[in-house]
Amino acid sequence: MFSWIRWWGLIVFVVIFGGGTAFFMLAAGPLAKLSIEKIGTMVNGALVEVDSAAVTFNPLGLKVTGLQVADEAQPMRNVLEFKQAVAELELAPLLIGKGIIRELSIDGMEFDTPRKTSGAVEKPKDEAKPKEPSAIESALADVELPSAKEILANESLTTDDAGVAFKESYASNKAIIDEKLDAVPDESALKAYEDEIKAITSANINSVEDFRRSKAQLDKVKERFKQDQAAITEARAAVKQGKEEISTALKELKDAPGKDLARIRNKYQLNADGASNLTATLFGSEAGDTAAKALYWYEKIKPYLSSSDDEESAETKKEMKPLRAAGSYIHFPTDNPWPTALLRHSYVTASVPAGTIGIEAKDITHQPKVLGRPAVVNVESTALENIEDLKANLVFDHTKSPGNDSLKLKITNWQPDDFKLGMGDIKLTSAKVQIKADANVSRGNLVAKGDADFGQAGFVGGGKTFVAKELGLALANIKEFNIHAEAKGKVAKPRVSISSDLDSQLSKAFNQRLKAKQDELEQQLKQELNAKLENALGEHAGILEELNNVEGGLDAKLNKLKDLASSEVDDFKEQQKQEAKEKVEEEKDELRSKAKDKFKKLF
Amino acid sequence: MLSVLAKLLKALNSDASPSQISLAVSLALIIALTPFFSWHNAIVLLIALVVRVNLSAFLLALAGWSVLAWFVDPFSINVGTKLLTAPGLQETWVAMYQIDFLRITKFNHTLVLGGLVVSLIAFIPVFLLSRFLVVQYRAKVLAWVERLWIAKFLKGSKFYRLYQSIAG
Repeated sequence: MFSWIRWWGLIVFVVIFGGGTAFFMLAAGPLAKLSIEKIGTMVNGALVEVDSAAVTFNPLGLKVTGLQVADEAQPMRNVLEFKQAVAELELAPLLIGKGIIRELSIDGMEFDTPRKTSGAVEKPKDEAKPKEPSAIESALADVELPSAKEILANESLTTDDAGVAFKESYASNKAIIDEKLDAVPDESALKAYEDEIKAITSANINSVEDFRRSKAQLDKVKERFKQDQAAITEARAAVKQGKEEISTALKELKDAPGKDLARIRNKYQLNADGASNLTATLFGSEAGDTAAKALYWYEKIKPYLSSSDDEESAETKKEMKPLRAAGSYIHFPTDNPWPTALLRHSYVTASVPAGTIGIEAKDITHQPKVLGRPAVVNVESTALENIEDLKANLVFDHTKSPGNDSLKLKITNWQPDDFKLGMGDIKLTSAKVQIKADANVSRGNLVAKGDADFGQAGFVGGGKTFVAKELGLALANIKEFNIHAEAKGKVAKPRVSISSDLDSQLSKAFNQRLKAKQDELEQQLKQELNAKLENALGEHAGILEELNNVEGGLDAKLNKLKDLASSEVDDFKEQQKQEAKEKVEEEKDELRSKAKDKFKKLF
Repeated sequence: MLSVLAKLLKALNSDASPSQISLAVSLALIIALTPFFSWHNAIVLLIALVVRVNLSAFLLALAGWSVLAWFVDPFSINVGTKLLTAPGLQETWVAMYQIDFLRITKFNHTLVLGGLVVSLIAFIPVFLLSRFLVVQYRAKVLAWVERLWIAKFLKGSKFYRLYQSIAG
């Protein structure tokens, strides 16, 4: 029997396995360090560094000290770092190459810490594109108000045209009127006519001969009147026409500033349409940055959440088909499944600038279907400086296809401190904010919504631009508001909408501010336009009154000439009869007077 | 390689019993038809080292069976899959799956189980067949081979001198 036993073979077997185990023990640490650094850097896009890694025997596990994960966006900062992490490994799964961490404890974990050396890694450079202004910024840019002088300098004004037309009309009509007025007899000439006619008509007519002579003289004078009457009539007509034309031009000139103002107001429409989604501008930037960071890390870890439940993995497997058939594991129901890699539980206390947060991770694996339980990450804190209570629950459920990842977030009494808003130097200096948010990702589609209720809000600051300045003033009166945000669509490019009653409050306040500003501008425009009007009118503002006076004077002259022209030399016989009649009346009065005196004496 | 080949030839032509050579060939079959890094292969290796099987024959057979495994593996996987999914065996598998020691044997791997079953079924026939072939070789082929011009040519070669030195 013993002739079949080869004892030195047993020694060889022990040496082979002992050597293998010793090699594993010695090499595991450096290999783990190398793997963490290489794979971590590849996944992170920036340096991942480990001071040392070593295998521990009691308990069996791996100890990693001094891990730093550089920030890809800011290479001189770490996304996170910790002093020491100890992973307790389960032996049985390890014997078949499955890394199952029963408990992971991490000491001295900190986020966003400075680095001594750059953590950047060389990558193909993308061409830097100039940052395009957002649609909101563009819309708001239109709300900027130019000055009255800028507007008037760039506009073709009716006031200017009407001013020129008025001046031309005035000049041409004045020339005509002046010419006609030169032919009109003056007051001294009319007086001379009057005296002459009076002399003729008041002369005593003692005979028919006298009458005929006076009449002939009067007719001669009347003949001279006709020319003067014609001159006055022509001048009157010229004045009338001039008055009409100048009146029309003057009316147009006076109406022009109003028309210009209406047109400018219409053209430079001053309303708060561009400010209709100011919330997105104010809070969108910060919220967008946070969401972008979250989505960035989600995209990073997504490939490791499940290695076998999507089509892409199947495709990859098809392409990577090994030359020799490899077989596969068939898993059976058990309370203790063994995926290839698994973190059963970890609770980490991490330092953040505002205090400390607790992070609990359960069932983290890339083979959730094997494990049959979703990966869960809970974040909580009741010890932050500016947040009374924070609870976040992330569930990565890829136990079935399609997978579903969800986030529930609740923040109670967040008191933002100098929270910089996305415009000018406006800051939210104080508030009490309650936040609730839910997000779900399935088949690469994101459905997320969140509500933030702000109370006791206090804003300061403004900005150099009109909008920022006015917005700062408008925000100063707002104490309470809410924000509702939704995101839908592909995770890489979701459609984000932000709505808020802040919009309506701001819009109202902003409209009031705009209206006041608009009124101020209109007032300036009116002043500028009126100055132009005054300039166009010059000394001719009373031209119509002047022309009315001239017309009145001409009418008077014409009437006077008509009166003079109607004067006649009385008929000789009629004059005799009149004189006789007057004589009889005088005698009758005399007799009546005598009779009265006699009766008085009798009584 | 020449040394291993020389040792094999020495083993084939030495006093090593045909059973020792045949057992080495059969044990190599198990390792070749199943994934190398499996715990049952450690046991097979332990047997091969501790039991006086011919190690040269074991290594050479392992190389030969490994080539054959490329063609046999799909069949082995199919066998493993059918066994692991057979409704009548589910209770057994589930019960075995609850025991950590059994689970580290990777019995739930289709190629491990299929390859092991195929190699164990083939173990005895391969043992008997290879033993028969060794006996026949020594009885009939060896004398005929030695008469061939190629054998004479080889006897004058460096390889043969190496063989002679090993064989003592």
